[in-house]
Amino acid sequence: MFYLLFVLFAGTLVYLSIAERFRSYAKLIAVQGFLLFAIALIELKTVNLASLIFVLAETLIFKAIVVPHFLFRIINQTKVYRVHPKAFPAFYSLLFTMAGLFMSIILSNMLKNPSLDAVFLTIALFTLFTGVLLIITHRRIFSHMVGFLVVENAVFFFSLAVGSEMPMLINIGILLDIFVSVLIIGVLMNRIGTQFSDLESDNLTSLKH
Amino acid sequence: MTMLIVRRLLLTRWLMLLFVLIQWFFNGYVLLHAGQTELSYFTYDPAGVLFLGLLTLISTAAVIQGFPYFVSQLNKRFSYYYAALTGLIAAMTGAYMANDITLVWILVEATTLTASVLIYSERTLHALEATWKYIFICSVGIALAYMGILFLSLSMKGTGLHDLSFAGLTSVAHRLDPIYLKIAFLFVLTGYSTKMELFPMHTVGIDANSVALPPVGALISTGLVNLGFLSIFRVYKALSDSPIFVWMNKVLILAGVLSVLVAAGYMLKAKHTKRMLAYSTLENMGLVAIAIGIGGIGYYAAFLLLVLHALTKSSLFFQVGQMGRVLGTYKLDDSGLYLKLFPTGAIALLIGMLAILAIPPSGLFVSEYLILKALVAGKSWFVLILVLILLCCVIYALSTRVLHLLFSHPRENAGIHTQGTVGRWETISQFIFLMVVVGACFYQPPFLKDIINQIIAGLPNY
Repeated sequence: MFYLLFVLFAGTLVYLSIAERFRSYAKLIAVQGFLLFAIALIELKTVNLASLIFVLAETLIFKAIVVPHFLFRIINQTKVYRVHPKAFPAFYSLLFTMAGLFMSIILSNMLKNPSLDAVFLTIALFTLFTGVLLIITHRRIFSHMVGFLVVENAVFFFSLAVGSEMPMLINIGILLDIFVSVLIIGVLMNRIGTQFSDLESDNLTSLKH
Repeated sequence: MTMLIVRRLLLTRWLMLLFVLIQWFFNGYVLLHAGQTELSYFTYDPAGVLFLGLLTLISTAAVIQGFPYFVSQLNKRFSYYYAALTGLIAAMTGAYMANDITLVWILVEATTLTASVLIYSERTLHALEATWKYIFICSVGIALAYMGILFLSLSMKGTGLHDLSFAGLTSVAHRLDPIYLKIAFLFVLTGYSTKMELFPMHTVGIDANSVALPPVGALISTGLVNLGFLSIFRVYKALSDSPIFVWMNKVLILAGVLSVLVAAGYMLKAKHTKRMLAYSTLENMGLVAIAIGIGGIGYYAAFLLLVLHALTKSSLFFQVGQMGRVLGTYKLDDSGLYLKLFPTGAIALLIGMLAILAIPPSGLFVSEYLILKALVAGKSWFVLILVLILLCCVIYALSTRVLHLLFSHPRENAGIHTQGTVGRWETISQFIFLMVVVGACFYQPPFLKDIINQIIAGLPNY
């Protein structure tokens, strides 16, 4: 069951690399939120009850509901529904993502640790790579935002691996979630959406020299 | 919170001055209780004491220098500005004293929040762009730093240690897996380079400084940069007993050289005064990283450079802010004849330029001389020659631009249209800071030498 959740999570990352509609991005972020909730529920058996409830509530509320809701709101307000026409082609994006998956497998084998499941590390590294790829290869701010949310999921994933011994680390990861979801998405993207209707990152290149 | 609720400008100013007074009292308290730990998570160690003292000095001047930018009661932005300024100074104060890696991370994240409000205080399109870039790249950086913390905690599994205090990490560093430590250090360095304005994630500081009000730029380029450095240095010092010490030094030297290279390159193209100063910060932080990487006398030189750079750079930002009020622009092509328009400020700018370029009698000359001496002692000939060439480019770039500002007519416009006036008394803090920097060329007070020696004691190669 546990590994099924990992496979599904990896599947969402592959889908993210080829999706071109922003609504798909928002839905995939919501699915990832639910999957992380399930993984946290299974993985964090040894932490105290209060911490466990806090982590689960945060994962479900912020990652699976609040953040995707913000993303849908921004899509509806800005009426920008797709990636940039000159965006990195989906086929090459998929190739790079697969390369990232293989690199993650190789790296996690090199970083073998008896106290850490290799599959956990593989998925965390793969998530980090996919998020960074989204940020680098896309031109719209919305895509950059989604890429950052994926990077955050990687960080959260990894924090679950060490969470049983240091539950405060997970709480700190949650802090990052709240910071990102409330401030960046809620406030700033609204402002940018008001000023620049097409959300192109090229609009934010006037600061030079 | 109080600053957000209070909507009267005069009352807000008095509250800010009260906050500054409290900051001074806290500074005194920390000095009297140096070495002690309070609330389990805050230790008044020598590094924290040194940087807190600098922050108190500079924030006092920054608060007072910020008053002329908000003169109208009708504009309500001042409440957000002063609230964020209070939050930023408080977060930096806490982070300097924190003895736990995770608490440092939380407080550094708080500085991102508060600094972004300050950067956006003008509410222009440029401010929006700079704020978005600042928050986005800092958030990515913070996430990467957090990955580094997770790798550290993962490597510490099985040691019996359940906290991430720097003291705890120091005690077990020699037993930890080198591969995990290398990955952790790389992530931490990359993540906190957003705050230290060091390569690779230095760009946030450049854009932020070019848009933010000059007093905010002064705080970002000094207090926040010192915080980024301290966050990296504490991890570096904790891992100095581990097998990766030599490797960490190489990484720091590489990051430092690349920082100086990027700074020199962009400074030669700079057309905006605040941006030019931001590139100068990048160059100086590159030198600090090289100094730490080379070790030996370089450790002392790094901290001396940080102290004197903070005083010089803050003076320059304050003066450039006043220049902006006099000339009505920060663009170099539209500026000129500053010596004629505001002689007192022009003299401060000229002394500041000499100081930041480490031209004697600047105290920065002593620190940079010691860094070069450390490079010679370490037989790093390639780094030495490269740094010397790049420093020549920096001297050329900065001096031509500042001398143009002072003596030449503007390139673009037919003449200068003076926008405003600045009182001579507003330059007092700048001259005080610059005189300290000049004095440091001839005499470094024993308390400063002692505190730096205490910070670097215990480091290998020292």
